[in-house]
Amino acid sequence: MIESKSYYFNTFHVDEATLERLIQEALHGGGSYADLYFENTTYGNLLLRDGAVTSGGNHIDFGVGVRVLSGEKTGYAYSESTAWADMLSCARAAALIAESPSEVSPYGSKVPSRGEPNPAADRYPVKENWRVLPMASYLPFLQKLEAEVKRRDARVEKVMANLAFQLSDILMYNSSRELKWDSRPMGSVSLTVVFRQGQQVENKSTSRSFRCGAEMLSGSLIEALASDVVKGIDERFAAKRPKGGQMSVVMGAGASGILLHEAMGHAFEADFNRKGTSIFADKMGRQICPKGIQIIDDGTLTGNRGALNYDDEGIPGQKTYMVEDGVLTSYLHDRISAAHYGVRPTGNGRRESFRYAPLPRMRATYMESGEAKAEDLISACKKGIYVDEFSNGQVQIGEGDFTFYVKSGFLIEDGRLTQPVKDINIIGNGPEALSDIRGVAGDLAIDPGAWTCGKEQSVPVSCGIPTVLIGGLTVGGE
Amino acid sequence: MDALLTAEEIALARHCLQYAQKQGASAVRITLTKSLLNLTGILNGEVDKVAHALDRSLQLQLFVDGKYGAFSSNRLEKEGLEGFVRDAIGTVKMLEPDPCRTLPAPERCARDARDGKELALYDPAYENLSAQDRKELALSSMAWPQKASLEQGFTLIAEEGEYSDSVFDSLTLDSQGLHARHTETSFEIGYESTVEDAEGNHYSSFWWDAAPRLKDLSLEGCARKACEKAAAQIGPQSVPSGKYTLIVDSECSSKLLTPVLSALGGYSLQQKNSFLADSLGKKLFPEQLSIVDKPRTVGQTGCRLFDSEGVATRELPIIERGVVKNWFINTYIAAKTGWEASVEDATRVVLEPVGGCKTQQELLEKMQDGILVTGFNGGNSNPATGNFSYGIEGFLIRGGKAVHPVREMLITGNFLSLWSRLAATADDARPCLSKCIPTLAFTGVDFSA
Repeated sequence: MIESKSYYFNTFHVDEATLERLIQEALHGGGSYADLYFENTTYGNLLLRDGAVTSGGNHIDFGVGVRVLSGEKTGYAYSESTAWADMLSCARAAALIAESPSEVSPYGSKVPSRGEPNPAADRYPVKENWRVLPMASYLPFLQKLEAEVKRRDARVEKVMANLAFQLSDILMYNSSRELKWDSRPMGSVSLTVVFRQGQQVENKSTSRSFRCGAEMLSGSLIEALASDVVKGIDERFAAKRPKGGQMSVVMGAGASGILLHEAMGHAFEADFNRKGTSIFADKMGRQICPKGIQIIDDGTLTGNRGALNYDDEGIPGQKTYMVEDGVLTSYLHDRISAAHYGVRPTGNGRRESFRYAPLPRMRATYMESGEAKAEDLISACKKGIYVDEFSNGQVQIGEGDFTFYVKSGFLIEDGRLTQPVKDINIIGNGPEALSDIRGVAGDLAIDPGAWTCGKEQSVPVSCGIPTVLIGGLTVGGE
Repeated sequence: MDALLTAEEIALARHCLQYAQKQGASAVRITLTKSLLNLTGILNGEVDKVAHALDRSLQLQLFVDGKYGAFSSNRLEKEGLEGFVRDAIGTVKMLEPDPCRTLPAPERCARDARDGKELALYDPAYENLSAQDRKELALSSMAWPQKASLEQGFTLIAEEGEYSDSVFDSLTLDSQGLHARHTETSFEIGYESTVEDAEGNHYSSFWWDAAPRLKDLSLEGCARKACEKAAAQIGPQSVPSGKYTLIVDSECSSKLLTPVLSALGGYSLQQKNSFLADSLGKKLFPEQLSIVDKPRTVGQTGCRLFDSEGVATRELPIIERGVVKNWFINTYIAAKTGWEASVEDATRVVLEPVGGCKTQQELLEKMQDGILVTGFNGGNSNPATGNFSYGIEGFLIRGGKAVHPVREMLITGNFLSLWSRLAATADDARPCLSKCIPTLAFTGVDFSA
């Protein structure tokens, strides 16, 4: 969603002369680059619990962040007011970094991001603006969602549904005189249901999240969420902990993209490589997984949770091939790491809000489809596990050890799905797992859930993958 | 300097409270917060980052016509806030009614949190720190210049550190006359080191400390400890899957208690999404386990005189000799269920040491064999069943000594059965953590590798 330039100037009470003056103040101490990030975000939320929408609210977050770079060193300060005196105080605090002089790097010169934002190229067009519609208009969606869940399964004991939405107006300006603006919508619905079967209690959760307006609150979304949350509940009640140990793992299409996020995505973020801490720090140009595999981080998927018209440094959103034909071809860069490596920024400079300096972060990370069939990958396993529902993951950048938590799946015995399993953690090593990919199916799916990455700051991301067979990972069990 | 909140800001909060009542709110609670943070980051012996952050927020909880909503804004201009309050009241009126939403009874609320400094968590030393002081504090802990002496089978390839100090000031007011203020300072140092072994493998680890008072902050050797921890991980070996004694370092032992505390929370219990449903008064844990909430311990990290509703905190037995003694029930859940109200959440949780060991080394010698867990790598638990599975890092222990680091291991089980196998603890809880949990030892835990 992109408004006119004057809309953003009015929102933040600034003009181009003020922006330039502030940048000059920020560079007064000798910094080599400076940028400004203005943000006006309104959040809203409604919560259905115990059969009624009895809680909700709105929240406003407004301010400007000033960053000064001195070589690769960062000074950062922010103000919750755009009054000149407050912004000036900020600029001077950030400028302190220049007291520790450093080699100058060309942060702006390699960046072809001149020109004004083009509404026609908007990656998140909005039909129904979250800010304009009254909160009451969203209540029926949550009420119908609860009714549909209860209609589908008599074992439903409790339904908790949360609608969260936000719209962020962003204005960016830097010492290369690049001016960019954007308005980023996000709507998310999360659903948690408690089921009871006799004395046994189980819970199940699902979510949907998109960069779009309130038009997402449709009947088809109710169908999708209700269907998701009751699907597999019989198996959940029947599920057991498997016997733990190392075994083959077939990762179902879609949410299994968490493998890419944890096993390699973070290790490809260039700040870890610039500092030499990543296990992939010396692997650029080398074969890191079997030939034929392409792994991508993409900010161009319309309406996707990770989509960006511009990143938080004003670099145009783009699609970045990290792995081509099995070879590591690109890290994910912000301006600092791009200058360090002498390459163009990849549009991965992201931040949680104006309170944070940007870092290299993922957007939508996925693997392109292969040529195998999912059922053939399963039947190729004599003993293993099939997983398709996850809650969270983590990685140790230096060692490359990653984990992800599996909410549900199945044992694979003699090439067939047998006993349902649940609540197990899986652990592996990034480079070893990537090189141990035995097959990739042709069924790529991007997961539509509300994934959030928490590397120092929280940013919305998404992930996807086709069905993939990995030769050996360690599976938790009894 | 009188902490952070100014008289004008407090007057504005009082004005909003009265304005909301005039606009039709039957009850109002307002929490005004302000914080100031200064941070200096170090990368490989040089200043890499400085940050300065001043935050303000006004949170508004409105009770209108039997309906409830929560709102916040960081735009604290009077005229704009009046419009925000009017819009908020309009929004609340659109929601469905809930008669259980009320302010807590005044007699349950804190009356002794007047100036916010009653718990002695405020150190005026932060007022006099200059940018140069902060830089020197950040650099004083680093090990980087001593890189050469650390090269014994490894190379220190990256060392990142941060020193920060902050002050947090909050005031909670309500339409029944509540005035509850909390002010605290915090001083923190943290270092993360990455080392490389002869084969080019990388190992990272960190160490940190924090204290409400600058003089209590342990700056000495922070980076060296991080480096030593990273180097100790060199040469990990696989250990066969099986049942082992699990010994969890006090740095991370709270990971095994947090899901238990969550399961004793009112929302989880009321939503039947808790493996400790119907647990009150029942002996579900071993005789030797006693856990107490001590929120009013003067000068200790995390302590508070009141919870988010303004309800006065008090010392509360949570689990006493294995018996569940209290749940965390706020005013809303109490009204909804008929359960007795307590406080919203635990504040400073203390697990009473078991078995007489003072140090972790004494505990290792007592247990003799097992796996010492020094960190968790991912994992999660199921709140409804209490089943868990976590990735771990640590060391194989034989004869009370660390033999070698372990790799790619997981522990899996159920919290009730895990805690039933609590064998002993050390007495080494870290004072910088709000959950004072010592090193713990459990027998017969499933490890996968």
